[in-house]
Amino acid sequence: MNKSLRLLPRLAVRGSLVLAATVASLNPTLRAQVQTGIAESSAAIAPAPMIATGVMQPSASATLELVQTAQVSGTVKDEDGNALRGVVIKVKGSNKGAVTDRDGKYSLVGLSDGDVLVFSLIGYTKKEIPVAGQSVINVVLPLDVQKLNDVVVVGYGSQIKREVTGSMVKVKAAEIVDVPVPSFDVAMQGKAAGVVVTQGSGKLGQGISVRVRGAASVSAGQDPLYVLDGVPLTASFGDFGGNVGRSLNPLSDINPQDIESIDVLKDAASASIYGSRGANGVVLITTKKGKAGKTNINFSVQRGFSSPSKFLQFANTPQALEYFRRAAGASDRIDGIDPKDPDSYTSALEAYFQEQSLGLYDPSKPNDLSKVPNTDWAAAVLRNDAPSTQVDLSMSGGNEKTLFHLSGQYMEQEGIVIGNKLNRLSGRLNVEHRVSDAFKIGLNFSLARTNNNRLPGDNAFSSPLQAVALPPVSPLNDPVTGLPIGTPPGDPNIPVYYNPIIGVNNSYRNFVVLRNLGNVFGELAITEGLTLRGQFGFDVATQNEDQWFGAKTVRNSGLPLGGTTNLSQTVENFSGSAFFNYNRTFDAVALDAIAGTEYQQSRTKTTQFSAQDLPSDGFRLAAAAAKPTTIDSRQTDFTFLSYFARANVKIADKYLLNLNARVDGSSRFGANNRYGFFPAASAGWIITGEDFLKDDEVVSFLKLRASYGLTGNAEIGNFQSRGLVSGVAVYDAQPGTRPLQLPNPNLTWETTTQAEVGIDYGFLNNRISGELNVYLKNSTGLLLDVDIPGSTGFRRQTRNLGSMRNQGIEFTLNTDNVNVENFSWKTSLNVALNDNRVIDLAGQILNAGLGNLPSRAVAGQPIGVFYTPEYAGVNQENGNAEWFKNTLLPDGSRDRTRTSRYSEAQPIYAASPLPVWTGGVTNTFNIYGFDLTFQFNAVMGNRINFYGVGQYSFAGARFEDNVTVDQLNTWSPTNKTATLPETRYLIENGSQASSRFLLDGSFVRLRVATLGYNIPKQVFADAGLPITNLRLYVTALNLLTFTNYGGWDPEVNSDDFTGAGGNSVSANAAVGQGIDFYTAPQPRTIMFGINVGF
Amino acid sequence: MNTQFTKLRLFLGAAVTSVVMSACGNLLNVEPVTQIDVNADFREPLAVRVGLTGAYDGLSNRLIWGGESWCYSELLADENEIRFRGTFQYMGDVWRKTMVPLSFAATELWLTGYDAINRANRVLTVIDSLPASERNSVRGQALFIRAAVYFELVRFYGKAWGDGDNATNPAVPLILTPTSAFLSGVVTPEESRRRNSVAEVYAQILTDLRQAEELLPASSIATRANKATAAALLSRVHLMQGDFANARDAANRVIATGRYRLAPTFEECFREALPGFSGETIFRIPITEQDGVNQLNVFYSATPGGRRDMEILAKHVNLYERGDDRGAFFFTSGRRLTSKWRDQFGDIPVFRIAEMFLTRAECNFRLNTSVGATPLEDVNRIRTRVKLPPLEASALNLNAILKERRLELAFEGHLLHDAKRTRRNLVYSDQMIPFSSPRLVFPVPQREMDANKNLTQNPGY
Repeated sequence: MNKSLRLLPRLAVRGSLVLAATVASLNPTLRAQVQTGIAESSAAIAPAPMIATGVMQPSASATLELVQTAQVSGTVKDEDGNALRGVVIKVKGSNKGAVTDRDGKYSLVGLSDGDVLVFSLIGYTKKEIPVAGQSVINVVLPLDVQKLNDVVVVGYGSQIKREVTGSMVKVKAAEIVDVPVPSFDVAMQGKAAGVVVTQGSGKLGQGISVRVRGAASVSAGQDPLYVLDGVPLTASFGDFGGNVGRSLNPLSDINPQDIESIDVLKDAASASIYGSRGANGVVLITTKKGKAGKTNINFSVQRGFSSPSKFLQFANTPQALEYFRRAAGASDRIDGIDPKDPDSYTSALEAYFQEQSLGLYDPSKPNDLSKVPNTDWAAAVLRNDAPSTQVDLSMSGGNEKTLFHLSGQYMEQEGIVIGNKLNRLSGRLNVEHRVSDAFKIGLNFSLARTNNNRLPGDNAFSSPLQAVALPPVSPLNDPVTGLPIGTPPGDPNIPVYYNPIIGVNNSYRNFVVLRNLGNVFGELAITEGLTLRGQFGFDVATQNEDQWFGAKTVRNSGLPLGGTTNLSQTVENFSGSAFFNYNRTFDAVALDAIAGTEYQQSRTKTTQFSAQDLPSDGFRLAAAAAKPTTIDSRQTDFTFLSYFARANVKIADKYLLNLNARVDGSSRFGANNRYGFFPAASAGWIITGEDFLKDDEVVSFLKLRASYGLTGNAEIGNFQSRGLVSGVAVYDAQPGTRPLQLPNPNLTWETTTQAEVGIDYGFLNNRISGELNVYLKNSTGLLLDVDIPGSTGFRRQTRNLGSMRNQGIEFTLNTDNVNVENFSWKTSLNVALNDNRVIDLAGQILNAGLGNLPSRAVAGQPIGVFYTPEYAGVNQENGNAEWFKNTLLPDGSRDRTRTSRYSEAQPIYAASPLPVWTGGVTNTFNIYGFDLTFQFNAVMGNRINFYGVGQYSFAGARFEDNVTVDQLNTWSPTNKTATLPETRYLIENGSQASSRFLLDGSFVRLRVATLGYNIPKQVFADAGLPITNLRLYVTALNLLTFTNYGGWDPEVNSDDFTGAGGNSVSANAAVGQGIDFYTAPQPRTIMFGINVGF
Repeated sequence: MNTQFTKLRLFLGAAVTSVVMSACGNLLNVEPVTQIDVNADFREPLAVRVGLTGAYDGLSNRLIWGGESWCYSELLADENEIRFRGTFQYMGDVWRKTMVPLSFAATELWLTGYDAINRANRVLTVIDSLPASERNSVRGQALFIRAAVYFELVRFYGKAWGDGDNATNPAVPLILTPTSAFLSGVVTPEESRRRNSVAEVYAQILTDLRQAEELLPASSIATRANKATAAALLSRVHLMQGDFANARDAANRVIATGRYRLAPTFEECFREALPGFSGETIFRIPITEQDGVNQLNVFYSATPGGRRDMEILAKHVNLYERGDDRGAFFFTSGRRLTSKWRDQFGDIPVFRIAEMFLTRAECNFRLNTSVGATPLEDVNRIRTRVKLPPLEASALNLNAILKERRLELAFEGHLLHDAKRTRRNLVYSDQMIPFSSPRLVFPVPQREMDANKNLTQNPGY
């Protein structure tokens, strides 16, 4: 055994073609087995594998040619000791070969000592072993981590990655298994080129944004379509009210441990099978299935702690006093007021400090701070020790007729912001039963109960992170009552804003989601190669929110006797599909075709009631409330009816052709445009299948592919095409109606045309592999909430108007740097560049985000571009903040003179919220029993709108919020070289919206770092324990962050003001983004885990 | 494979497929249930009645008569008697007279105003489906609502009446028919209206109100318009135009109904629960725990409900004479706040009879008439209630009447409009701001400028 490190692959090795040929010729049943990991199961399940290539004849079942006399036999197993069936053994440089039987056995005759045997099986690492006089050669094939041989899940089927002509990316279970996140989408961050995942907030279980190749829409949804085991999921729970910011993440009801793989369909050729819902990409989630044989039991426990990934430093009492006094003096000077005047700013400020400190500050002794509190509010609301626990138990196994996977999980996490908690109890049963050779049925069923103790939306004073705005002179607790300051019977009007800490023990917002996801299916083999699959899917979610506001929260709730609210929402989403699959190989031509139909209906019912005036804080439900305040119920529905077809043709294992199409009808579309047609085509050429590259020593795999097609986006409101009259127009307790929405009977999906060219490559026996894609994605007929003249009485009409372009490059590189016994090092890197540009909006300008510093959709700019005056700095003479006028001059240039009159400065398109590029790199080391993984991800070149916080805490004393320490050194008559404008109490001087608040949001983050140790199996075998594996590990999330961002955390998207659900000035979903508004930073989590298998 | 089984399977496959296909008939026809389709509306008298209620709901919007625009009036005309200490930047901009076209205040007042106007216009076009006995009242109410909203809009977005040429000064587009696109779905270029002149808008307001006063019933509950309500609004419109005779007569018509009387104490004018409130109030916007928001409470008051954003400074308090109940009608919550809007769920009095007395007094004085009563009698009614000694006839002059009006109606949304109509220049911080300053006129909202190319922006924006 060669123990020296082999940093370079053995160039002499060749023969990847064996593998290629084998994969190409597998029959569909086996291919399905490879996909589900039961290839080694018994022969009763499927006919024996037939090898159909020019090299190995189908008739040869075990041994091919018997020419010479030397004989070798043996058994091939996987790393778990299971026999591997269908392993192709080829004698290098000859036509001889064999295939293992159901027990993994093979034998070969006619060999000579110099022969080299090549063992290969899809999904496993190929091995070459010289005969060298041996007569028994037993081989263990490890699982192959190279991506080329993966089976990828595509719409209504699966394909071998190397034969795929579209563009898709797979994330496997092993890549997300230890990552301590509540939903799998978070774990995808940085893993897949062109898939940008933005968590937005450190609050637990909130909706996050996933963008596949940029935003393809302005007003309609941008999230991809999620399909779980063939069932289209409810994508959003919608606005649920209750002032909690963004709606819950509907994906957090799926236990990530149940996921076998996540496949993201990126291009038109792969996504158009989902027609009018494919334009934002499609995420296919496949859950685990059982394997025949021994029943595997797996038990794991994780436990750890979270802390904020970054703190922002605010002024302490001496700093704040000095800063605000300077500000008040400046304001008095400017307004010409004697500081001793009772109406002066200085008088007001001194009184303010006295009030805010509950009298502990004495204006007559301005320099005596001995009794004045010095409160660190950030420390009071952020936790360094938020615990998390997760327990998993799973069992899987089966026999030739029945396979099962059973799992359960309990997890609980506490947030890094006080009062935030999440727990989930979930279970899943996946069963598959073969009724006969021709008929198979199955059930995938899961139940989850997620309980989320949520926080108010970012924009609410009651949101704990807003406590940072409170003055440090205010004591944490009222010395008289001992309760958090502002708690009655203390004066509820102090401190300056509502003290959110009061809410932690005197109110709650508890969400319970019960989610039932699953499907039943049947698969019938009709004739050779032809099967019919029917499936009924369900996704039923009940969301129940209990809110209670105790009497002590009166300042926030406005309810001196408290109040209670209950919201309940049921989303019933049913789908049914039936499709034929025809899969045959005719000589050199292999055909894989499907045709079918699908129907989906979804109904959302919401009821709400609120009541106020409770007898005491012990009563928290409406039964005891004196006054009902809100009673509300709503319902909304949509349906889709679709027909789809696809054909994959492969000729001579080199030429690949894919055609697919879908016809989609939806209740959402206007009466004049009910059905859409979405065709796509793609082709591939496996260049390494040609003679001139067939035996190349360097290039082991090369495929060129191109695709072109149409997809659509149907994510608009359910009745957006209808003219609607609303009954929400009560006046003086009388029922009323009002016009709500303009109709648009022509309304239809938006169309995305996507063209792509890509290369899949593998070098040096695929030790270096990856892909390179270039794409152009044009979206036209955008579903736009078009601003119409408000003088009509309406604000917007949803129309198909305008176009947008995304173009980009994606590059992935996987390298097997070192692979020797007991040491391996693998690297996986992905980089994606996407350029988004709104091409045409027919002259429309759409505003969203923050009112004074809007995010815009406007022709010629990237979507969400920030529109605001350009900050020029401070006037060193007078301390005034200045902006560039930027008015357009006759010669087309802009006037670069500076002005301190804000209204003279012309707003410009100042910066984009979109990253220039994103990427990730993962390094995995295996050294003896240890494994070590580092995953970094990077987001580069985006700007974040910090104005929401900055206008208060970052730019003078216009508001009474405490300021960050980096803003203290302001201009003053005695400090004229300072670069920050003079601070002026209650007067704007630079706190106006401008490019000053558009901060660089680039970051590189050590997303996941995991160190694990597998105790050698021999230890258990020696001890006679039935343990098959035992792994101990520690994993860290967000351990390191490298950024220049001036706010808390660059990975941010406020739950208010962004997207469709928040407090945005517009409903345009994609326009408002990259906004920081007291948004909770991401947690840094360290978890310790143990995983035992029996 | 066995051919028999194959046939069976083929049959099964075909059967399943055809069942699936045939079930798909009308699956795409889904009707809204939370709202109703426009084509299902306005088929019966009831729909007109509820449409009218909906128009009142539009008028009661927080931006219009829910009180927020009255805050704008007080902030924009403030002369350092208020200090805005809240976190809503757009309110601070109004106070500092540094608005920008992106202003939330300018945007939302425009949009909610036209929403209410469209609701009223819609009722006006379908009124014939009502029984004849009901038509006059409903038409009168809808005209009143439309006029009320236009009067708010013309005063904020246009130059003051008589400040330059009313016939050429742009105000707001005058829209008198419901938006046809609500039925057709087609927003035609004609919907991009230009701004009508100040004169045109005022003329329409007068036409509507005069007709309303004629059509409306003599009495109604105080949350619905009647003849007196229309007359009260007419008196404001005429006063704004400097048409003192008509303003006087309209105010006098309200007083002459005899149905309104000054509340015994000043406090009762602002406390819905106190007995004097209903006599004082000519029209009010209902606010309950179930419906409506009192924005005056939100911005002027403290917990519960209030943000205590509007600190009242000593400069204002010093304006009151010693012993004036109104001078003590403040409370302290870390800062001085007005006591007028302390009821979180208190109805908002839009017209108080005190205003009518003051309007009549001012007009009678200016015209040297005594319609209904002498100016001195009317002013002293107001003074007596707040325990001030009556003015001597020799002390009565225009300034005294205007000062009485300012103190009586402080924080009720009159400040800006009274300053403009009386041509009073403002001194704010160390700056002199003429009554005609462009800074005292709202910008046309940027979103409206972007959506409607026929609009022109106001000077200074």
